Amino acid sequence: MARYGMVTDLRRCVGCHACTVACNAEWDVPAGQARTEVRATPIAGTFPALASSVFVSQCNQCDRPPCVNACPSGATRQTASGIVSVDKRVCIGCGFCVEACPYDARHLDRQTRQVDKCDFCLSRVERGQEPVCVATCTAHAKYFGDLEDRSSVVSRMVFENGARRIETGEVAVGPNVYYAGLPEQLDLVAATFPPRHPRMPASATVWRRAFKPLMLTAIGVAFAGQAVAFFTQLKNGEKDFED
Amino acid sequence: MKTDTIPLEPVPLSADQAEEMLQRQIKKHYLTSILLHWFNAFVWLFELLTGAALITSPYFRITPEWYLTIAQDVFGTRASMLRFHVAVGITWLVVFVVYGIFGFRAYLGWEVLQSKLFLDADDRRWLVVRTLRILGRSREPLPPQGIYNAGQKMFAQLVFAMTPVILVTGLIMAFRLFGAWAIGWAVVLHFVAVTSVVAGLMVHVYMGAVFPEEKPAFFSMITGTVNELFAYSHHFKWWRTVKQEEAEWEAAHNGQAHADGATP
Amino acid sequence: MSTESISRRQFLGTVAAAGAGAAVAPAAAEARPHPPGWRGDERVEQIATICEMCFWRCGVLASVADGHVVRLEGNPDHPLTRGRLCARGNAGTGLLYDPDRLKYPMLRTGKRGEGQFKRISWDEALDFLAAKLKAIKDAHGPEATAFFPHGIGSRFFGTLMSAYGTPNSAEPSFAQCRGPRDVGYALTFGQPLGSPEPVDLESSKLIVLIGSHLGENVFTSQITAFANGLAGGARIIAVDPRFSTAAAKADWWLPIRPGTDIALLLAWMHVLIGEQLYDRDYVAQYASGFDQLAAHVKAFTPEWAEGITELPAAQIRETARSMGAAKPAVAIHPGRHVTWYGDDTQRARAMAILTALLGSWGRKGGIFLPTSVPRGSFDLPSFPDSARGRADGVGTRFPLASEELGVTNGLVDATMTGDPYPIKAWIVYGQNVLESIPQRHRTLKAIEALDLLVVVDVLPVEQTNYADLVLPEATYLERYDPPVVVTTAKQPFMSIRQPVCEPMYESKPGWWIAKQLASRMGLEAWFPWNTPDEHLDRIIEPMGINGRALRSRGAVAFAGRPYIEDRTEDDGFIPTSSGKIQLYSEELKDAGADPLPRYTEVEPPPAGYVRLIYGRAPMHSFARTQNNEALHALMSENEVWLHTATAGEHRLADGDRIVLENTDGGRSRPVRVKVTEGIRRDCAYLVHGFGQGGRGLRRAFGRGASDTALMSRVKVDPLTGGTGMRVNFVRPVPAEPAV
Repeated sequence: MARYGMVTDLRRCVGCHACTVACNAEWDVPAGQARTEVRATPIAGTFPALASSVFVSQCNQCDRPPCVNACPSGATRQTASGIVSVDKRVCIGCGFCVEACPYDARHLDRQTRQVDKCDFCLSRVERGQEPVCVATCTAHAKYFGDLEDRSSVVSRMVFENGARRIETGEVAVGPNVYYAGLPEQLDLVAATFPPRHPRMPASATVWRRAFKPLMLTAIGVAFAGQAVAFFTQLKNGEKDFED
Repeated sequence: MKTDTIPLEPVPLSADQAEEMLQRQIKKHYLTSILLHWFNAFVWLFELLTGAALITSPYFRITPEWYLTIAQDVFGTRASMLRFHVAVGITWLVVFVVYGIFGFRAYLGWEVLQSKLFLDADDRRWLVVRTLRILGRSREPLPPQGIYNAGQKMFAQLVFAMTPVILVTGLIMAFRLFGAWAIGWAVVLHFVAVTSVVAGLMVHVYMGAVFPEEKPAFFSMITGTVNELFAYSHHFKWWRTVKQEEAEWEAAHNGQAHADGATP
Repeated sequence: MSTESISRRQFLGTVAAAGAGAAVAPAAAEARPHPPGWRGDERVEQIATICEMCFWRCGVLASVADGHVVRLEGNPDHPLTRGRLCARGNAGTGLLYDPDRLKYPMLRTGKRGEGQFKRISWDEALDFLAAKLKAIKDAHGPEATAFFPHGIGSRFFGTLMSAYGTPNSAEPSFAQCRGPRDVGYALTFGQPLGSPEPVDLESSKLIVLIGSHLGENVFTSQITAFANGLAGGARIIAVDPRFSTAAAKADWWLPIRPGTDIALLLAWMHVLIGEQLYDRDYVAQYASGFDQLAAHVKAFTPEWAEGITELPAAQIRETARSMGAAKPAVAIHPGRHVTWYGDDTQRARAMAILTALLGSWGRKGGIFLPTSVPRGSFDLPSFPDSARGRADGVGTRFPLASEELGVTNGLVDATMTGDPYPIKAWIVYGQNVLESIPQRHRTLKAIEALDLLVVVDVLPVEQTNYADLVLPEATYLERYDPPVVVTTAKQPFMSIRQPVCEPMYESKPGWWIAKQLASRMGLEAWFPWNTPDEHLDRIIEPMGINGRALRSRGAVAFAGRPYIEDRTEDDGFIPTSSGKIQLYSEELKDAGADPLPRYTEVEPPPAGYVRLIYGRAPMHSFARTQNNEALHALMSENEVWLHTATAGEHRLADGDRIVLENTDGGRSRPVRVKVTEGIRRDCAYLVHGFGQGGRGLRRAFGRGASDTALMSRVKVDPLTGGTGMRVNFVRPVPAEPAV
């Protein structure tokens, strides 16, 4: 079984935005929103000793995706090949997954009011094509492939050439978009765009922490109460009404 | 048959009286009520089963894996399961709205609510005594109850309160209304309302279907009638109202018959 | 992205308006059997063409469903771009379906500048124009009409204008862009560099960028080559007053004092020659004038250059030595837009000389050689000669300017002054004269002097408001243009632009407009073909190209001979008169100019002002794309880069809105401030193309600040007429409260 991953080479990438425009055009993402984001670190240092790097990110199709954990309707799930997909027929637009994503890779589509995100162009991949961002990249900076196939380009970049994940000690959910580049460049990028802790909105937390235990207790008590009544009845020999 | 004087409080009956009352059936539920009750029950069950099957993420899940697998197999895809869930939910809503409008006086009129839904002093006392009796801590007789006893009324109140919550939050989720914050809270309130009713259902189903003493109540939900003795002993105030109506009816028709010379 | 379907009425209108003779371009499916592709989850028909969101002309595959273009992506069969496409190319449907597009011919009703028009039919418009041109020719001669073209589509009009008899034609690509560069390199190597620049970035060991901000200036295949070079271990020297994307990737960033590049280049030459680091064998074999050069640069030490450029002498030495070590695989990127300070031809000369010293001309990793491609052409009657000659100064005021491309500002001057003779009409095709030519006030004054201003365009840019006649052209996706032959690629090729959908509204392809005018002006003899297919077939047939394959794949490649080792004795690669690389230029000497480049002192900003410099953003092309929905969403306005200290002096914080005022009191629209360490204290930087004045472009209008509007001064390069534009100084002033 395949495990899809991507490698973005930040040494090559110039931040031209071809990927984000191509993705929007392919999937009808409204202008002003995007599944993939092109950013740059602020220029750091003092003139003329300066440093900056471009950074392109999208959904990382993580090994342990917090978004799948957060979805109450089951719309977000992970395929066997690792791609985290959103079933638009099921998504209710609650946005729990948006809060949960440590990389802020998901957004609520203004028009459909559902969640939208990169899915590695799953339907294209199933046809044997590349994701459109990879296909259009002017700098040939994006690579896509099977991380379980050791001969694939992405595998070689990850396992032989040291392409890195953007993780911290505290948030390590196993993102499958890796980054290649100069070590100092990757350090800068990892420091500037680290993943944050997954969050749940107040509503979900209130359910989990307060209401759910409360309701389960209530059900349990009701059930227990009835059990007591049942046994009391047996003991006292409550008769059928007719008797 | 009783004399013209209908007792204000339950009095002990002779064996013959009891036997006679046992054989006589009184109409408690009309056909529409029966149909609505079972419609409600089955829709509820279906929605509960499918709804629980939709909740798959570790954070929210409440059912075991095998259950989710079976449910998915039955419906094919999660999308089709959701479609059913929403379609049935909307049907339920439509039925509610229709009988809410057409049956307003019969179901939602103030007097109806007073007798079938709100608790009076007897009801409140009944709750205390009943609980103590279940716990084996009292042998005090129960205060007289109306057509529905206090426990049944409380369950009805729960359902009356939670059903609109379930329906409205369901609509918010199904049609993605009012933005993510509202939808997020709709999820939570939907779950809270459903689980509340489930808790109440534990008691309702036990009392209705398992507890032998209430068997006539269960059958009344199918036949529409209970035997008079049951009514006398368990729902005295309602028995009393029925008796009064019978007496009035007889008085009106007996007088008429004498005037006509026909046999009543 | 909004899609508008062309209604049946509109379509029939188009067919009816096609008029006598010219047939509408044939339906997409027939002659273009490209295999179908996918878009999202649907199968779509795909047609190959070339892009025109900028002028690189990358290969595009247009996905079409029911006559709608639903997607644009790169064409994998294109020999240069190989399936890659930049942000603008991917956003091309935003131009096609822009609701603000010019839709039908319009005749001015109000005063010039008011933008009041009435809609007229094509017949009316064409009759009007033909009659006007005849009248002007009769009264003032054909030279009184000047042509301002841009883009390959303009060639049909170019033929028309030449047949009409005017020698006055000028594109901004010369005097506002590459002109001085091509002349400087032609003086040295015998031929202009051309476009795309033949820089062998991907094989280079050391890439030297002088003012080139690759990465923000995006041309698909050049970015690919740049990235490949980096991946191959190339190091970068970025010479730029601003910390650009390229500078951020560079091994050396040289934040040079603006205008002093020639000093740096001379000092580099000094080190390379003095330390014997230049390619001695190459120079001995291929170049002439070395001794004069060596003598010339003897005095130009890194210490001397340090005082001028504000770059440490050690850094100058170090970078020169790195070039020496990496030669000949050193790519001195010649730049593209080079009209900066008025000495631009000489700066190009210096860069060319440096290239030659490193032995990188015609060598791997340096500048590769163009491969000529024999091409078919039409047998046309010869164009009439002009008795009075050109008015733009080519060959006279500007001795080395290009005859083919002309000097736009020369035409503006002539129109304004009436010298050498009055110019009464301008035909502007695909050129945005108010945005691309500096000193707008002069352009506007010139326009006032005109009897006739005709604008043939796709979008209602600001100049449209001044036109007497506006003709809506079809976008690149809707029309046929003459085929492109690129020789400055390692694999030369021909590519075609063919329509992928029917023209919307009443827009028409340029070939049709030109041909219609020709028949009304009695110039049909210069258009001896009836349909675009016929036109293309007659060009490609003598070249032995299969028309069906070309239309299916969009391009056809030829064998290339990009390096010296590919060339035989007879196949010379230095077409100078001497057959040698001219390190010392006799031609310049004869023209009365410096035969070897010399640094001339550049005026510093007055106190309180900083120098205005400008550049590109990767999601926009000049002033063409600011109204595009997708691209506007990525960058809706520009911001002015100011150094932290400069901002501090004016008490400005990041994000503040200010107005830029130049030394002539000219003011920009309000613009956001970006406070950064990434720019010199004496500069302010703007991305070009914003602050537009065309109200018809509802998204773009008034957003950000226009650098062009602030260019009240230019320094004209005397050899080519190139307008040095980085000679304006600005200061931030408070923005007026919004009206």
